[in-house]
Formats: sequence, structure tokens, C-alpha cells
Amino acid sequence: MSEILGMFQGLFSGFGIAFSLTNLTFALIGALLGTVVGILPGLGPSATIALLLPLSFKIGSPVTSIIMMAGIFYGAMYGGSTTSILVNIPGEAASVVTCIDGYQMALKGRAGPALGVAAIGSFIAGTVGIIGLTFVAPPLAEFAIRFGPPEYFSLTLLGLMMATLLAGTSVLKGLIMVVLGLLLGAVGLDPISGEVRFTWGLLMLQEGVDFVTLAMGLFGIGEILYNLEKALATELVTRKISHLWPTLKDWAESKWPIVRGSMIGFFIGILPGGGAVISSLVSYGVEKKISKHPETFGKGAIQGVAGPESANNSAASASFIPLLTLGIPGNAAIAMIFAALLIQGVQPGPFLINERPDVFWGVVASMYIGNVMLLILNLPLIGIWVQLLRVPYAILAPVIVLFCCIGVYSIRNTVFDIWVMGVFGVIGYLFRKVGLEPGPLILAFVMGPILERSLRQALLISAGSPLIFFKRPIAGSLMGFLLLFILVQIIVTFRKRWRISSTPSGV
Amino acid sequence: MKKLAIVRLMVFFLLIGSSMAVAQEKFPTKPIEVVVPFAAGGSTDVLGRLVAKYAPKYFDKPLVIVNKPGGGGVTGTEGVVRSKPDGYTLFLGYGSGHDLVEPHFKKLPYDTFGDLLPVCRLSIHSICMIIRPDAPYKTLKEFVEWGKKKDQVTASVSTRAGSVDITLQALGKSTGLKMVTVPFRGGAESVTAIIGGQTDCGGNHPSEIISHIKAKRLVPIAVALEQRDPALPDVPTFKELGYNVVTVGSVKGVGAPKGTPPEVIQYLTERFKKVCDDPEFVQEMRSIGQPVMYQAPADFGKFLKEGFAEYGRLIKEFNIKLE
Repeated sequence: MSEILGMFQGLFSGFGIAFSLTNLTFALIGALLGTVVGILPGLGPSATIALLLPLSFKIGSPVTSIIMMAGIFYGAMYGGSTTSILVNIPGEAASVVTCIDGYQMALKGRAGPALGVAAIGSFIAGTVGIIGLTFVAPPLAEFAIRFGPPEYFSLTLLGLMMATLLAGTSVLKGLIMVVLGLLLGAVGLDPISGEVRFTWGLLMLQEGVDFVTLAMGLFGIGEILYNLEKALATELVTRKISHLWPTLKDWAESKWPIVRGSMIGFFIGILPGGGAVISSLVSYGVEKKISKHPETFGKGAIQGVAGPESANNSAASASFIPLLTLGIPGNAAIAMIFAALLIQGVQPGPFLINERPDVFWGVVASMYIGNVMLLILNLPLIGIWVQLLRVPYAILAPVIVLFCCIGVYSIRNTVFDIWVMGVFGVIGYLFRKVGLEPGPLILAFVMGPILERSLRQALLISAGSPLIFFKRPIAGSLMGFLLLFILVQIIVTFRKRWRISSTPSGV
Repeated sequence: MKKLAIVRLMVFFLLIGSSMAVAQEKFPTKPIEVVVPFAAGGSTDVLGRLVAKYAPKYFDKPLVIVNKPGGGGVTGTEGVVRSKPDGYTLFLGYGSGHDLVEPHFKKLPYDTFGDLLPVCRLSIHSICMIIRPDAPYKTLKEFVEWGKKKDQVTASVSTRAGSVDITLQALGKSTGLKMVTVPFRGGAESVTAIIGGQTDCGGNHPSEIISHIKAKRLVPIAVALEQRDPALPDVPTFKELGYNVVTVGSVKGVGAPKGTPPEVIQYLTERFKKVCDDPEFVQEMRSIGQPVMYQAPADFGKFLKEGFAEYGRLIKEFNIKLE
């Protein structure tokens, strides 16, 4: 009881800190910057925070600079959906899934409702995530830290299975892309032995293909090349957009996906290394699975936007839990905030809440405020984001290419990556020509290395026995769920076949 | 009108004056790029950013930290080796492990000693063996006894063939334990794995574990240095405990490309020394578990070669191979 009281006291004092004029200003700057870099393809929150790191000790107290950086991070989660929906380019991995139905909605002139649902879902889920961060951070982090290699393997395998179904129409095409993604993910140093693989002797490939480079190429450049050929783009960008606001039917359809997405995102977000990507993917898979009309997915189902967009925001808030309570950065952007804290002389870890309550509670309280700011920023400004569609393609395309180049270059400061992006741009264009969806490829690319590493780590620990995946409770449950999932898929497929073959011809 | 003419004249002379000043000015005339060949947020990066924070007090131009991760540190280091030797591109992390350990296994695209000039040593990140507080063993001796009854013992390490991996494998060989090292993705992940109970023990640098030790999530049991680590003064060395596992740890020095003029090196060495003498810097470094251990170029160069030989001896003596 006294613990809960302490939390309220802490949160109360945190609001006192967060409501100072300086901190409010920097929360707003962070939220605005985050939205903008989320919208601009090629410039993600990690790159932005990295660029601002040298400034962080000029800003002042650690609380203020972390409040701004946190704002950039979760603000980008709001902004990230915008380009996915409007131009089919995910600003980062967590928005890949949003492209599938979000862009389809935009093509049907329903960009407005898609953006609206994404913003409101993000707000609700983000707030749910922060409430979780406030009250269940320490015990839940204890749970997350029990996740070892076998658990990660089971979880990513499950995620990958769902990714295969993401391809939309054809499971075969999905599998092709998953396998390609896994192969690309294997380029570079072998995660266990440290041997160099598939690099053609190029030192620049030793660390593997960079995610942002690959994503920018396949999605950004590929899409632009495709649009240039079709000249359809001009038609798209001048199409009149009606129904900016989601209808009652839209709300009815998206309220449960938002709730489920918030929960999924929160629980996956607290896993170190898990985060927004897997959660948005799992959310999409769940929504498609339990939908009464799974055939609408991939054709502009609003649930396919509401669920994943909520999940990635909730995961973004939740990913502060391992950082602030255990000192474990779960993803690239959080790693930057981790570095910023260290530079400021604040050690993120189990002692943080007790030693620097001002930092912990100040940042947590600012996140509540920041989310409200983002909602206010995003809802009335949806009209302005939609204006992006009216920008002539002759201007938009080169701008996107420019930002892709800057973004890709800024990661490792090498021109080589820009060439790699170009190559994948051409590949992405060819994929579109033959009707292959790059989404599952990129997801397999992200999860492949986790899958391989955790598999081999687990087998090292168990001295080669695969029973380790079934003996441990969490891993075992996940594996059981996976097997059930496959079984259900097989039954469903065969029943469909049986029905088709038993239906009299000519009907 | 007249006023404007005077202003113009002043601007004219100002420009001439400043361009002459540039021509006469000594090194440095522009910001100095310090390449950290590892990702942002790692211990080397944090060290670099702390140095950069104090640099404006002592350097005439700012230090700019540039992260160039890749190839376990080789990519970024090679970039520095191939850059113009004018002192404006430096390498931070000279002696980190990739340059002292890897050459024993494979050929690097540059020569750790021939292609780089030592500027100074800033710190040493020792290798500390850690266990969980609830483990059935509390000391190194108990761990070895416990491990002998097992088919294998597992150890979390930050990367394959890094200094931590070599040290723990050497411990395994010298104690007769079947030590299986499980590589994770960096120090933070390997720490998580030990705390989470995935492995029996692990090795990390003090800066990565100091908060966990304070919070009693981890217990340090031995340090692989010749003498005790100032960051962990209560922890005995392997040597004190009777195991001849001695390394130079992961050395954090500054290097410059071969051919950098001696007066430039001298300037850099002097200024880095001033940063290392700053009591506030020393205090901040201590609080993050990175002891300041300055060394001048000549001693540092010698120290690196000894460290290289030491790792070579461990690898050879204990017949460590990469699997």
C-alpha cells in the first residue's frame, strides 16, 4: 500500500518538475521534432537524437534533455504512420505494417480516417504504456529479464510465422520474401563464431546490411521508381480527399484493435530487444486472425492501421521500462537516450528511481503531457499532413530521395550505404513489378539475426539439446502456441480445399 | 553613405586580418574529429563524449565524436588509418581488443602498430568475472569446485574473440572446466543474460556492471589484471586467487594515423593530459566505473605491445581456437 502511495507521490512531484516552463517548452520541441522526423522518410528518431546528443549537455539539467529526447522518440511513433499511409514509405520498422492497409485506405481516398485513427490510437496506447511504466515498471522488468535465448527464439519464430501471412494474397509469395529476408539478414559477421559470411570480401558489409539502408531502398527508392514509370503518382497526389474524420463505423471497427494493440505493445515493448517492430507485427497478425472478414486485410482494413499503430506507441512507452529500471536499452533510439543519460552523469539502472527520482518521475510525467501535446498537434494538423499528398510528385520525389540519402549517410557516415540503398531501390522496383510485397522481407531481415543468435545461444547453453525450447515454461508455452497456430492453419487450408472440391462445379 | 564606406573598409581589413591570422595559426585551426569505431552508447563512446565535454577548456578547437561502428571496431579504425595524417582525424579505443586480440586469429586490413601512432592512454576497462548473488557458489574457488561436477559451465561474453571471451576461455583451460562461452550482442545484453539466470557466470567491464553490483544483482569475483582495478578495489585479481589469467583488459587509448607530424602529436598529448588531470573529469569518470589511467605516448606504445604479447601468450598457452 505504501508502495502505491510512494508512486503517486513520485508522480505528483514529477508533474511539478515537468510543468516548469523550461521542461514544457522542451517537451513541446521534442514532440514537434519527433512528429517531423517521423513524417520525413529517411530521418528517424535514432538519427535525430544522435545529432542532438552533443547538444544535450548544453541544454541544461539531465531531466530537460531527456524529456526532449523522449519526446522525439515517441513523437516519431505518431509521425511514423503518416508517410506509411500517405506515400507507402515506412519511416522505420515499426511502421512497415501500417503501409499495408494504411496506404490502401489512402488510395481509396480514406487517408483522413486512417491518419485520424492512427493518431487517436497512438494517444490511447501511448497513455496506456505510460500508466504501465508508472505503476508496474519494477515488477514487470523483473519478468522481462527472465527472457533468455530460448524465449526469444520461440517468440521470434512465432512472429515470423505471422509475417508469412502478412504477404496478403499468397502464402507462397510471403514465404519467398521471408526466406530472402532471412538470407539478407545473414550477411555479415556470424553472430556466434564471428566468421565473416556473404560479404564478397567487402569490409563495409561485415556488419551486415543496415536496416535503414535496406528499408529506404526497398520502400523509398523502389516506390519512387515504380511511380515514375506508372505516372500514376500525379493522379494519386491530386485526388480529392474526403471524410477526413473517421466515421462511426470506423470507430466501432477500430476501438477493440486499439485496446488489444495497447496491451500487445506494452507486453512486447518491455522485452529488451523486442519492441515496436514485433509488437506491431503481432498486433496485425492478431487482428487479421480474429477478424470476421480477414479478406479485407491488405485492401484497406482500418483495423490493420488501428491495431499496429497503437501497438508501436504502447511499445515505445514500455521500452523505457528496461532502460529506466535495469539500464538496458532495448532499441537504437533508446540506446541514444541511454548514452545521453550517461553523458549527463546519470546511470540508468536499478538505482535510478531511488537516486534520481527527479529524472525518473520528471520524464514519466512529461510523457503524459507530451502525449496530450501530440494529440493536439496531430489531430488539427491532419489537414496539413494531408497537404503532403498535394505536393507535386516532381518535388516530392526528389525531396524523398534527398532525405533517404541524408538519413542513410548519417547512420555510418559512409557513401557506400547510399550505393547499397540504390541497389535495393532497383530490387524493390522489380519486386513491385512482379507483385511481391517487401514487408515480410524486411521483417524477416530484422528477426532473422535474433532468431539465429537465440537459437545458437540456447543450444550452446543446453549443450545441444533442443528440449530447452520446451522445458522452460515461457518458451514452452510460446512453442505450444506456435504448434497450435500451424495446426489451425493446416486445418483451415484443408477445409477450404475440401469445400472447394466438394462444391459442385458451375456454381 | 560615409558611414557605410567606413563599415565596408573595416570589414575589408577584418577579412584580411583574419585570413592572415589563419595562415599563421598553429594546429588546430578546425574541429578535431575523434572516431569511435563502436556504436553510440557503449563504454568507449561514453568515454569519448566525456572527453569532448571537457575538451573546450583545454583544446583550442572542439573535439567532435564520430561513431563508425562495424567489423567489431576494425572498420572505423581502418578509416582512421587511411585518413590524412594531419591530426584532425583521431582514433579513440586504441587497444580495445579488436586490435590486440584479432591479429592473433586473422589478418587485419591494417597493422595495429605500424599504421598508427600512439597519442596517449586515457583509461583501462578491466575484465571482471561476475556471478549472480543467488548462485550456489560465492567465490571463484567454489565456482571451480561446482563446475567440475558439471558437464559444462556457461559464460556470457559480449562478443566472440573479444578480450572477455579470451579471458574466460583461458580461465576454463587453466582450471580444467569445460567453459562454454556464449556470445551476446554487446556488454549490456550479456549482463542481462547473467542477471536473468541464462548462464552460470560472465565477464564484463566495470562500467557495464557497477550499478548492478551496487544494487546487489551481480557479484564480482575476480579481475583479470596484473593489479587490482581502481574501479573495483575490493575485488581480487585472478593472480591473487592462484590462476595465471592476466590481461591488459580493454585499453582505451588515442591513436593517430602514421605520418602525423610530431608537433601535432605533442599538442594532442599535452591537451589530453590536461583533461585527464582535471579533477572534475576524474570524478565523473570514477562515477561511471572508468578509472582515468593516463599514459604518455612512449610508455603507451610499449604498453600496447606488451598487451598484444600477453593476449598472444594466453591464446597460445591455452590453445584457444575460434569455433
